[in-house]
Amino acid sequence: MKTGFSVFLAAFVALGASWFGLVYAPLQQLGRAQQTVILHSTDVWPPQRTGDVTLGLQVYRASGCVACHTMQVRQTGMANEITLTDLKDHPATDFKEFLKSLMIAPPLDACSNGILANLDHWDGKVPVTLYSGDDGSVVAALADKLKPAGVKTVTGVLTSGPDLARGWGLRQSVAADYLYDQPVQLGNLRAGPDLSLIGIRAPDLNWHLQHLYAPRSLVKGSTMPAFRFLFELRKQVDGKSSPDALVLPPEFAPAAGLEVVPTAEARHLAAYLVSLQASAPLYEAPFTPVTAAK
Amino acid sequence: MSDEIKSTFPATDAEPTATSSAEPLWNVLIIVLIVITLGLLFFGGVYFDRHGGWFNPKVYPPYTTLENLEAFQPKSGAEAAAAQGKKVYEAVCGICHGVDGMGKPGQAPPLAGSEWVLAKSVNRLAHIPLAGLAGAVTVEGKEWNMNMAAMGAGLSDADLSAVLTYMRTAWGNKAGEVTADDIKKIRNSLGGHPQPMSGDQLKSMPE
Repeated sequence: MKTGFSVFLAAFVALGASWFGLVYAPLQQLGRAQQTVILHSTDVWPPQRTGDVTLGLQVYRASGCVACHTMQVRQTGMANEITLTDLKDHPATDFKEFLKSLMIAPPLDACSNGILANLDHWDGKVPVTLYSGDDGSVVAALADKLKPAGVKTVTGVLTSGPDLARGWGLRQSVAADYLYDQPVQLGNLRAGPDLSLIGIRAPDLNWHLQHLYAPRSLVKGSTMPAFRFLFELRKQVDGKSSPDALVLPPEFAPAAGLEVVPTAEARHLAAYLVSLQASAPLYEAPFTPVTAAK
Repeated sequence: MSDEIKSTFPATDAEPTATSSAEPLWNVLIIVLIVITLGLLFFGGVYFDRHGGWFNPKVYPPYTTLENLEAFQPKSGAEAAAAQGKKVYEAVCGICHGVDGMGKPGQAPPLAGSEWVLAKSVNRLAHIPLAGLAGAVTVEGKEWNMNMAAMGAGLSDADLSAVLTYMRTAWGNKAGEVTADDIKKIRNSLGGHPQPMSGDQLKSMPE
């Protein structure tokens, strides 16, 4: 075979290129990821997982949740914003003049037209957004200069996007969120909602257990299948339900004398779902939590 | 010889036309393709430079570069001070007083809703981290009798004022801000090695 070496070389280059692109480069980029510090805090992200949460991921995987749920929030926009919240008895026209006088020095001079145009038809009502854009230094400069004047402002980084508007997340998903997921359950179909923030949207363990057993008892018109194999139908002892048994509405309750008890798998899965709380502002995904902005 | 020349060169009377061009069509096509490819490569390079973040693991869309991401980190202004206050609180004070400001039984009294924290002026409050506190104090009607070291003596004026501002504005507390100048004045008035104060000593000071 005269072309043997060429064939070998071609195969080597093809495999080598895909190994480089799909294995080596991602490893260099993210392979040594560790817990990172949450913005404005000394806590680390993501928090260490407890045993039932780790097991819950395997139940999540085995039950095929990933077929209908994603765990990746997309963000399409962000803005540094400063909002005037309190004028402190200053007339609006005076404030506008004062603002104009601030616009001489950099970095405010570059965007003075935009800021003043925002206030062209302003009638003095607060809150009013003074600036919303890329430049964080404009926001910082405005905040610093308006503070001695006695007026109150609120500054922050606002995130936006269709996923965020639905309440599925507070910021985009980043690699750090999946640090302890093995394997990562990203998902690519949204027959159900995104679950990145489900632990905050539905923080109650018992809600999740009942939802897994009878989704339509909690969410009307839900298309989620009932995961009844994660529960055990048992005979009541002395006519009384055990403390762990689900408290179900009559139309979903089992026959008299029986009770529905979650198995260990159901508990692990519920614990895992409650642990999904991708809400920490990080360096790579900064945003100002609403509670801090108020 | 003359026959050979005749056969290799086209007849001189024939005007060159588009179809009988000396450059074959595929040659032109290849040149066009090369130009297009180079153009696309250039465009791709410029696009990557502007939006790719140079493979930095911290840069996700919609952020385009590390500089772009940096522009969204709090740097100065009230937001940064609040963030710094929270950070220092959690590292220094939160261990005993709790990150929620509710205090811990047998360790430290609560700060959320405490009349010491919410006082009109910061004078008494600022003495506690700067000098320390020993002995009995009453906080929210409850008696606490323990010692606190001068945890704030090692903090800068800016950090300590940020922490005190955070205490006075977090967890539902609503009191005024503390400036670095306030802290500087109190620190200077205390001198080099202040002794821990007692609750009564603090009470005898103006608020």
